Amino acid sequence: MPEANSTPEPIQRLVDAFHRLPGIGPKSAQRLAYHILRGPEQDAAFLADALMDVKRRISLCSVCLNITEQDPCRYCADDRRDRSTICVVEQALDLLAIERSGYRGLYHVLHGVLNPMDGVGPEDIHVRELVVRLQANEAQEIIMATNPSLEGEATAMYIQRLIGPSGVKVTRLARGLPSGADLEYADDITLARALEGRREI
Amino acid sequence: MSNRARSYNTEGVVLRRRNLGEADSIFTVFSPTEGKFDAIAKGVRKPKSHMRGHLEPLTRSKMHIAQGRNLDVFTQAETIAGYRAVRDDLDRLTLALYCSELVERFTVDRSPQPQLYDLLNELLEGLDTNGPLTIGRSFELQILAMSGYEMQLANCAICGARFPEGDTLFSAASGGLVCENCRGTAGTGRILSVRAIKVLRFARTASIGQFAGLRLDEGLESELQRALGDAIRIVLDRETNSGKFVEELARPLRASERAARDDVQSSSPFSS
Repeated sequence: MPEANSTPEPIQRLVDAFHRLPGIGPKSAQRLAYHILRGPEQDAAFLADALMDVKRRISLCSVCLNITEQDPCRYCADDRRDRSTICVVEQALDLLAIERSGYRGLYHVLHGVLNPMDGVGPEDIHVRELVVRLQANEAQEIIMATNPSLEGEATAMYIQRLIGPSGVKVTRLARGLPSGADLEYADDITLARALEGRREI
Repeated sequence: MSNRARSYNTEGVVLRRRNLGEADSIFTVFSPTEGKFDAIAKGVRKPKSHMRGHLEPLTRSKMHIAQGRNLDVFTQAETIAGYRAVRDDLDRLTLALYCSELVERFTVDRSPQPQLYDLLNELLEGLDTNGPLTIGRSFELQILAMSGYEMQLANCAICGARFPEGDTLFSAASGGLVCENCRGTAGTGRILSVRAIKVLRFARTASIGQFAGLRLDEGLESELQRALGDAIRIVLDRETNSGKFVEELARPLRASERAARDDVQSSSPFSS
C-alpha cells in the first residue's frame, strides 16, 4: 500500500482503529481520521474521553445482565416494578424497545441467541445465569421476547425446555403481522400464526 | 451455467443466513437447478420487507434472482413450504438444521444435485408430518452415498470377501464393514450389531418415507447414530457445528427429566 509509507504513523494508527469499526471501509476510516486531525483538540479529547468512559463505567448488571452504570441496574433496583415476570431479550437494545411498549416487569438479557449452524451454543450466551437466578426468585412468568427468527425460536424453545420443568410459566410473544404490512406479501407461517391468534373486535 | 440471463427463476431451500451491514442478509440456498449458491437480499431485515419470511432458513421457496456483479440479488421470493411443524419443535428443528448443514458442507457451489435436493425435502417433509427423528440416520447414509462415500455394507470394504452374518467391525475410514481377517489393516471403527447392520442395509435402498416406518429402540438408534456420526466426521474431516448442538440439546433434556423425577419427591427441584 503506497499510503502506508507516505502517511505519518499516528494518522495511520487512527485510520486502522476506525477501520475496525463495523460498517467503516478504508476510505471512510481515512476521512474520519483526517476530520479528527483538522478539528479542534477539545473535540478529540471529548471523543477519547467518551470512549474510555463507556468502557470504564459501564458493566453488566449482576442480576439481569443489562448494560448499566450502577449494579444492580435501575430496572432491577426499582421496587415499583412487577417482580413476578421476567422478560428475556436477546440484546440490551431489545430491552429498550420492550420498555417503550409499557412493560413494567423485570428483564434478562441473553447477549446473543442460539445459532446451531454457526456453532453458537447455550454456553456462549447468558442462559445459565437465568437458571441460577430463577432458583432464588419469586418470578412466576418468563416472557420469551427473542426475535421471531429461526434462531430466536430455537432459543425460546431451548429455554422453555430448560426451565419448564421447574413449574415456572414460560410464555412467548405473539406473532403476526406488523402494522403497515401488506397481506399479499406476508409469508405463510406468519399468516397462519396471525390467523390462529385472531381476536374478536 | 455461465450463459444465464440477467435474471432467473429458481426454487430452493434456504440453508443459512448471514447478516450484512445494517439491513441486508446473504442467504445460502440449495436449488435443484442451480446447486448451492449465495445471494443477497437487500433491506430484508427491515420490518416491512416483503421477502423476510420467505427466506427464513429451512424454508422452501420460489425465487426470482437478478445477476449481480459479485453476488446475485433476490428480487422476489415466495414460500412453497414453510415446514412449520419443524420450527415448532426443538428436536425436529435441530435435526433439520444438522441435515441442512450436511448439505452445505457436502456440496460445491453452483453444482446441481437434484437427487440430494429431493432427499432434503423428503427429510423436511418427514419431520414436518410427525415422522420419527430416526430418519436423520437414513439421511446421513444417503447423503454419504450421493456424495461418493457409499459405505460398503455387503462385502468387506478392504478385501471384498463375504463375511459370516454377525457383529462386524464398521470402519468409516476403511469405507464400511470390515471382515475378521482385515481387522488388523482397518482404521479405527466400532463393532456393529447384526441388527444395526440390517437396518443400514435397509436404509441404503429405502426412501426416507419407508425408513420412517421402521421402529428402532433407543439402543439401536444410538448405535447407528454413533457409527454414522463417525462416518460423517471422517469424510468431512471436522465436527459439524449443529452436530455439537444436537448433543448439547440432549444434555439439558436429561437434566430436566431428572428434575421432573425429583419433582415427584420434592415439590421444587430448585430448592433441593
